[in-house]
Amino acid sequence: MKQRKQPGYYPGFSTLSQKAYWDAATRREVEARVNAVPEIRFFTDEELALMSAVCDRIVPQDDRLPEWRIPVVNYIDERLFENRISGYRYEDMPADRDSHRLGLRAIDETARQKHGRAYTELDRQQQEEILKSIHDGEELAAHEIWSRMSIDRYWQLLVGDCVSAYYAHPWAWDEIGYGGPAYPRAYMRLEGGLPEPWEVDEQRYEWVAPPDSISDVYEQTGASETSHHGQAGTH
Amino acid sequence: MRRYRDEEDVDYCLVGVGSAGGVLLQRLAKAGFKVVGLEAGPFWDTERDWVSDEKGSHKLYWNDLRITGGKDPLSLGENNSGKGVGGGSVHWAAFAPRFHPSDFRVYTQDGVGADWPISYEDLKPYYELLEREIPVAGPAYFPWGDPHGYPYGPHPMGGVGNVLVDGCTKLGIRVCAGGPVAILSGSRGNRPHCIYRGFCIQGCKVGAKASTLITHVPEALEYGAEVRELSMAFRISMKDKRRANGVHYYDENGREHFQRAKAVVVCGYAIETPRLLLNSACAGHDSGLANSSGTVGRYLMAQAGNVVLGRFAELIRMYKAPPAHALTEEFYETDPRRGFARGFAIQTVGPLPIAFAKQMMVAKGAWGWGMRRVLMDYNHWATLGVLGEILPWPENRVEVAEEKDQFGIPVAKVSFSLRENDKKLIEFGKKTVMEVMRAAGAEEVVQESRYAHLVGAARMGSDPGTSVVDKYGRTHDVSNLFVCDGSILPTQGSANPGLTIQSLAARTADYLIAQGDKVFDSEERDMTPPPIRRRLAVRDTFAKGVPRVFK
Amino acid sequence: MLVKSVREHIADGRFQRSLSLVAAASSFVSGLEVGYEHYKGSYSNLAMYTPVLLSGALTGAALAGFVSRRAARTAMRWISAVTLADGVIGFGFHIRGIQRKPGGWRIPVVNIVMGPPIFAPLLFGTAAYLGFMASYLRREEDPEEPAESGLQGWRRELNEGRFQKHLCGVAAVWAVFSGFEAWYSHYKSRFRIWAQWTPIVLAPLQFAACLGAIFSERAARGPLPAISALTAIDGGVGFIYHARGIARRSGGKKHWLYNVLYGPPIFAPLLFAACGALGMLASMLRREGQ
Repeated sequence: MKQRKQPGYYPGFSTLSQKAYWDAATRREVEARVNAVPEIRFFTDEELALMSAVCDRIVPQDDRLPEWRIPVVNYIDERLFENRISGYRYEDMPADRDSHRLGLRAIDETARQKHGRAYTELDRQQQEEILKSIHDGEELAAHEIWSRMSIDRYWQLLVGDCVSAYYAHPWAWDEIGYGGPAYPRAYMRLEGGLPEPWEVDEQRYEWVAPPDSISDVYEQTGASETSHHGQAGTH
Repeated sequence: MRRYRDEEDVDYCLVGVGSAGGVLLQRLAKAGFKVVGLEAGPFWDTERDWVSDEKGSHKLYWNDLRITGGKDPLSLGENNSGKGVGGGSVHWAAFAPRFHPSDFRVYTQDGVGADWPISYEDLKPYYELLEREIPVAGPAYFPWGDPHGYPYGPHPMGGVGNVLVDGCTKLGIRVCAGGPVAILSGSRGNRPHCIYRGFCIQGCKVGAKASTLITHVPEALEYGAEVRELSMAFRISMKDKRRANGVHYYDENGREHFQRAKAVVVCGYAIETPRLLLNSACAGHDSGLANSSGTVGRYLMAQAGNVVLGRFAELIRMYKAPPAHALTEEFYETDPRRGFARGFAIQTVGPLPIAFAKQMMVAKGAWGWGMRRVLMDYNHWATLGVLGEILPWPENRVEVAEEKDQFGIPVAKVSFSLRENDKKLIEFGKKTVMEVMRAAGAEEVVQESRYAHLVGAARMGSDPGTSVVDKYGRTHDVSNLFVCDGSILPTQGSANPGLTIQSLAARTADYLIAQGDKVFDSEERDMTPPPIRRRLAVRDTFAKGVPRVFK
Repeated sequence: MLVKSVREHIADGRFQRSLSLVAAASSFVSGLEVGYEHYKGSYSNLAMYTPVLLSGALTGAALAGFVSRRAARTAMRWISAVTLADGVIGFGFHIRGIQRKPGGWRIPVVNIVMGPPIFAPLLFGTAAYLGFMASYLRREEDPEEPAESGLQGWRRELNEGRFQKHLCGVAAVWAVFSGFEAWYSHYKSRFRIWAQWTPIVLAPLQFAACLGAIFSERAARGPLPAISALTAIDGGVGFIYHARGIARRSGGKKHWLYNVLYGPPIFAPLLFAACGALGMLASMLRREGQ
């Protein structure tokens, strides 16, 4: 895959270029997110290697130049270290910290049972197949762990945490053409999908995922429809 | 701000300074009562504490642990629970429609749910007052329910509003553009006009979106009320079996305090209110305070809030403009042909990237490269929301769990399951919104199940055997203990509950003021309707805005 | 024959009735515009009602001025003056409104585009000024000579139809106000069609032509009417574009009220065209001192 500083259809777009027009508190918060990447404090070295390998498949960044990759694991680690939760826990789930630890164990156990090797030693396709089985709600191994924790909810927790870290980052905003912070500088072109003077036009290009990847398709997750209920506040 | 000492016997101690608590606090203080509001969260300084950022706004929500379960469990936290002065009104999207007259007699009309102990006409003057007070922007003529107009002009729409209007117009569905939302379309005092940046749910740093933090609390403080931040109430104290005499709470350092009060009003919303009542169980109230009926915590409701996402060939850029800016209530009322009772509304929503990614995780099962790919198309997607009425069921409830929170207080355990009518309604609502989305020109339409809002769990009613409070919010069991928040709603309609919660709070305030000292020293329940006290409305209420053509 | 007679009436300053009608029409149109623009701002300040009331009053007074000489010299004159003053005060309010928007003058572009329209009150005042000028003219049925006695200075020149420079000055500021409004509102919609550039190009030309006509009679006879005609035509075409833009919005005619509110401003091109019409009128007048 071609590596870019900024993948996506908005070449040259930079939300951070607007930071002079943000309020001080927001500027501090977003700048810190970019410049002061939190150190790893929650995961053990072993867990870290495993979690990094998992995150690399959940939000793959092979199309980004190495120095422009978003440190997803660090933000998840920070949340777990500070034990910041979303205000609830499903009754069929352990606490978030335990869920993540258990989930990693289940992933590794599955790898060892299926391939006889650690998850981190598998190739991309093998890794993705294991993750896909969780996506599908299919317990290939680690039945003891899945008996203590809903596999579907673990998938939501894992993917939710990964995307919450990735799409909180201004580089991800630039990638998807999202305008980012907007106070006090507001928006004036509300309709018709028009870009603001400082936003840029979309320039689409075709791209394909690595040939050995199986994640560039859309299939419903394994969980039954009713047990999924979205988390984000909308209206 | 005036400060009261713990041992000082204030007139009213409010637990929770949110949507309802904020209004009640302002009214009682303005009427001359000594009032303290205990708030579990912080007293926000919006310029210092809030950010124009999705992730950084996480602190606005009630993030303490709760357990959620049942067959169709609710998500809590950012979805529906606020913490800090202003409460939920800090992070609501600010849709502010009224309930329909039919909402007040659901049982009589449809044989399901419950009737309210009051009618629409009882609440109407308060709707009109609060619409001016906070104020609500919308069209000069709103055709559904009891048709009426709005005191502030409608807002311009973003891309999502245009999608809703296009789709509805093609299908011949009436739709309302530019409101009703409690967001300023015209400055007011030191609150500026909306700047259309789309961060309503992240707390409006501009001050254009109404929250009691900026609409009512400042005036409450001027009139001598105290707001005690970071004060987590854990038990209501009883003087004897019939009378409360104060509230036990923890300060931010976990130190225990006791605020004496002649009367207590719980304004903690649908989870914390029943949790506090249940945690206040004592001799004579063994199953929880004010729970002789066994209904404390029961009949909890959330609205169906399915999000329907449509991809368009052209760009939408849905992050611009407030997420709330157009809706239709064409499907609000019961239609026997549909095969279920009650109905739903369709509203604009505009998730920011993280929320959108989580929706795509469910709606399309996206992950990996698929997630990256669909997010690169973020600007091509528009989202509409169902807002459907789920009926009140006794098994949908709040209990207390064995687990404790950081203070050692037993946490709430919430159970939620849908019944047949709810499922049919959701299915129909979902399909209808998907049709609207397709009619608007979407080339791909997917959806995610969701709930929106919380109400119920301490419902009001005339019968003390089946409800917790009477029509003024007074608990049937304890004569100087009131509940004033969304938990007293017997049914919820398909309207966002914010305006109704605030209107009920203003009505409870008028009742308390009319009763005067009788609340403190008499057990008599005078059920005479109180006169409406328009003079207690916040400053600038009547000097601003456009004359209402349709009342 | 008719054209000649019209030209003579204009050159003599004998067109009070006609100009009163024009003032009535422009006052009515700007009243509608300010009415809905202020509705978008929810009349959040009671002062926002004043231009609506005044434009109504001025429309009435100017219609009365069409019928009655007396009304033209009293009610129309004074209401025009008050309306002009209201426009100037409104300009102050609008400046303050922009300043008070989050970010204030630190982010001038967004706040000018999204804030209260900065020059709209002055344009409103300028339109009212037409009524004020009309109040000093002679009426169509008056004899050719002489002018009224007792009038001196600019009043006498108005009365005798010798106010070409005066009217050019009015048209010049009109071009600035109207052109600036076109510029930022077309910028807001990103100049999606090339025709949106035409008022931006024409407004400075119109301004220059008016300015030139103040200093040179030759400019007043040649370039001024030509450019003014273009401006008037452009405004007319713009009106059609704006009407089409409104009809094409989501909800179209079903939501016409909302779409007039938030679609392209329907009356703005007409006000731009009026600027052209003023320039053409000015070119037919006699110059001061002649």
